[in-house]
Amino acid sequence: MDFLTALHVSGSGLSAERTRVNLASSNLANAETTRGPNGKPYQRLDPVFEAIHMAGQNEAPTVGQAPLGVEVSQIVADQTPGKMVYSPDHPDADADGFVTLPNVNPIAEIVNLLSASRAFEANATAIETLKQMASRGLDIAK
Amino acid sequence: MTIDSGQLDLQYDEVERSGGLDRLDRAGQTANASDPASLDRFKSELGKAIGEVDKLQVAADTQADAVAHGAGNLHEMALALEKADVAMRLAMRIRNKLVDTYNDIMKMGM
Amino acid sequence: MRVFDGTLARLERSLDVRLVRQNVLAANLANVDTPGFRPKDVDFAATMTAIEGSAGHGAEGTPSPGGTDGMGAGAPGQGIPADDLPIVDVPAGGASLDGNTVDLDRTMVAMAENALQYAASARAAGVKLGILRYVASDGNG
Repeated sequence: MDFLTALHVSGSGLSAERTRVNLASSNLANAETTRGPNGKPYQRLDPVFEAIHMAGQNEAPTVGQAPLGVEVSQIVADQTPGKMVYSPDHPDADADGFVTLPNVNPIAEIVNLLSASRAFEANATAIETLKQMASRGLDIAK
Repeated sequence: MTIDSGQLDLQYDEVERSGGLDRLDRAGQTANASDPASLDRFKSELGKAIGEVDKLQVAADTQADAVAHGAGNLHEMALALEKADVAMRLAMRIRNKLVDTYNDIMKMGM
Repeated sequence: MRVFDGTLARLERSLDVRLVRQNVLAANLANVDTPGFRPKDVDFAATMTAIEGSAGHGAEGTPSPGGTDGMGAGAPGQGIPADDLPIVDVPAGGASLDGNTVDLDRTMVAMAENALQYAASARAAGVKLGILRYVASDGNG
């Protein structure tokens, strides 16, 4: 295990959390979108995080011991049905006059945003710490 | 591996209380070819001074070992290393001066 | 003639182990939101003891077949093979909704401590080598 591996591990964390932030933002932006690209109401999107093995740059991966990075293995649409509101004049109202709103809870999305933000900061701090360590290591040969 | 901090303090006290450099200096000033006792004194003080430099190296090593094991006091280690470093530099200066003086004397003899 | 002693070898090994620990902690942070993920850590004291034990005579600084500096684990310059390290699962501190037991704050603290100890070992190695360099250059370097 070396400096580059740790860098890539933390980088994968940054990527994954950024994806989570993007999805939370998209959910928030579409909290009222009654007609999505497929004609149906917007369904909120969730990232699925999965731990992955990251090989060092110079070594063959030893599956048991290589540090685990993270990746978003898929983005799933939340199938929870959205709220139905009676609004017969709405262009997207169904035969009974009900409009289906997206299944987005803005409070939950903001909490997601904050949590992802904190995790992002943590990974960024890890990279800073690693850079400092590398610098001290190199100082041995000053 | 446990580090006995009591032992470490003892090493320092011995070195600091001994005032070795002052005695070495005085022995050097009063050394006289016609006074064998003063020469013996100088030799013994020189030996002791070298011994003290070595003690400081060992003390520094002990502290560094403690830190390498994840125990150990960081500022004590840093101080011990600096003392060892300074003592070694001083010893080198003294050694170089002695060698230079010896060479001068040998040249005089010609 | 052996110039580089057991203490320097121990410092070098401690740097290797600290770097591995940094990797492990970074992995914990990257997976702070991964469901079911169990955080890992390196038992530093046990690792150092195990390394010195496996080096046999090497622990006292005498040469052993593994390398020139007496610490047998791994050839010099290649660090410690990760397979030999006790990388342990951190016991879960509390309940968790999705099975993830990474404690973000504890991990950040562990990372800070690890970096500090790394810096201390690196500084110690630097000073020791500096003394050697000074002596080797006859008081001129």
